[in-house]
Amino acid sequence: MIALESVSKRFGSKTIVHDLTFEVKRGEIVGFLGPNGAGKTTTMRMIAGFTTASSGRVTVAGYDMATQNDQAARKIGYMPEHPPLYDTLEVSQYLRFVARAKGIPRSQFRSELDRVAAACRLEAVLDREIYKLSKGYRQRLGLAQALLGKPEVLLLDEPTAGLDPGQIQETREVIRAFGQQHAVLLSTHILPEVTLICQRVAIINQGRLLAIDSPSGLQRASEQTNRVTLTATAPAEALRSELQSIAGVIALAINEVPGNAPVLNVECQTDARDGVEAAIARAVASRWALHRLERRQPTLENVFLRYVSQAPSEARAQ
Amino acid sequence: MNGVLAVYRKELLSYFRSPIAYFVLAVFLLGTGYFFSYNMFMSGSASMTETFRNMGILLLTVSPLVSMRLFSAEWSGRTMELLMTLPLKPWEIVLGKFLGAVTILLLMTAGTLIDLVPLYLFGNPQTTTIVAGYIGFVLLGMACLAVGQFFSALTHNQIVAALITVPVLLSFWFIGYLQHFQASYALRSLLGYLSFALHFADFVQGLIRSEAVIFFLFVSAVALTLNASYLQWRR
Repeated sequence: MIALESVSKRFGSKTIVHDLTFEVKRGEIVGFLGPNGAGKTTTMRMIAGFTTASSGRVTVAGYDMATQNDQAARKIGYMPEHPPLYDTLEVSQYLRFVARAKGIPRSQFRSELDRVAAACRLEAVLDREIYKLSKGYRQRLGLAQALLGKPEVLLLDEPTAGLDPGQIQETREVIRAFGQQHAVLLSTHILPEVTLICQRVAIINQGRLLAIDSPSGLQRASEQTNRVTLTATAPAEALRSELQSIAGVIALAINEVPGNAPVLNVECQTDARDGVEAAIARAVASRWALHRLERRQPTLENVFLRYVSQAPSEARAQ
Repeated sequence: MNGVLAVYRKELLSYFRSPIAYFVLAVFLLGTGYFFSYNMFMSGSASMTETFRNMGILLLTVSPLVSMRLFSAEWSGRTMELLMTLPLKPWEIVLGKFLGAVTILLLMTAGTLIDLVPLYLFGNPQTTTIVAGYIGFVLLGMACLAVGQFFSALTHNQIVAALITVPVLLSFWFIGYLQHFQASYALRSLLGYLSFALHFADFVQGLIRSEAVIFFLFVSAVALTLNASYLQWRR
């Protein structure tokens, strides 16, 4: 539904987005992850048709955004980073304006308004002036206008910013339900959000796409080395030679537990093959007392930080 | 056309849910009422001619207050991002906003009709001259609003938009008076042709000249077209 083909955006001599290529399919929620200033909002704006790409092609629902953005606009629901609200209007007046502008037939106004108001929990404030709304309500009204008319493509720029934990939960549910039949691209810097609702994650920094994969795929691919930690009662030298003979163990560090002499803490770096930790467990437990063994997988935080921190050197290499 | 209607209704709502429409209407009607009574008692004649002249000048300073918010408020309120990504074409946005502002102008005009009551009660005014004057006033107002709306699209700041519009309108008004200092015939007729004041003067005299009608409509059309192209270019 959304396709970017080597899209770049330059403002003067500054290049904000470099050669971005990815797509979002129907029924898919893709998380757009990156630090502030990475080019997320600019990319969103290009997909929404607020700005045009300097080079490359953006297509939404088959329409080229450079030439057919009028047709494409009917398929897009867009929630910008700052909810675009008219402070003097009442909530229902605002939603009616958006519904009218989206070309929703008059007869469906009532049902559409009720639907998005219920989804975004706005029923209580429909008659209130927008400038009187709290931040959470403003944010959800921004989401509600994007949902009007059931657009095939939903673009959400940090949809949960400024919400309290309960509201975040509800908003995620709305997005998840909507994403089952539509294409959703949402930007965020809240990592757990991505793992919770996105099928795929695109990591972007300094305008470049660094990786795009499922959250678990990113975790797997990001570290070829896993980490196994264990606690055992054993003589240090014998334990070291035993562990080093196991295939897959790359490096290890042994430390005595202070004040508890024969008990040792061991940290092993292993490669990604399956069953390494089982082999370690068997080897240790057959000769000594094994108290604890744990396999640590990299968290998405580590993955993200790794990608983002290595970006500058990669950029230089190119 | 649905897009135009959507924007138009939103603009009207915005005008009347903020104090600006009431303020502008009040100031304009107070001013007009003052000029009307002053002219009546000074001249003692049952005519609107002098009052129309004063209304023209008053309009140059009041219309920027109507047009200044049209686009700059959208930029500063970050709602431009919504307008430009909704299925609305730039000309629909521009036209919807323009019609909203013109509605305020028509309300201002309608408010001055009350001045006609004493005129018809105690005098015997020329109806055709008055009708011509009103047509001219509305056409002049449309041109002023279109120009103001264009400048409003260029800045995020409403005050700046008004501060650019007022001198531009005043120069369009007074440019005709430069005629007297020009030797070349071509330059004289050009300055005369560009003058808001000279074209408006025809209407005030009771003349509806097609050239003057076309002039004001042409200025509005050019300003609105520039406005829509600017939005397209900003994309």
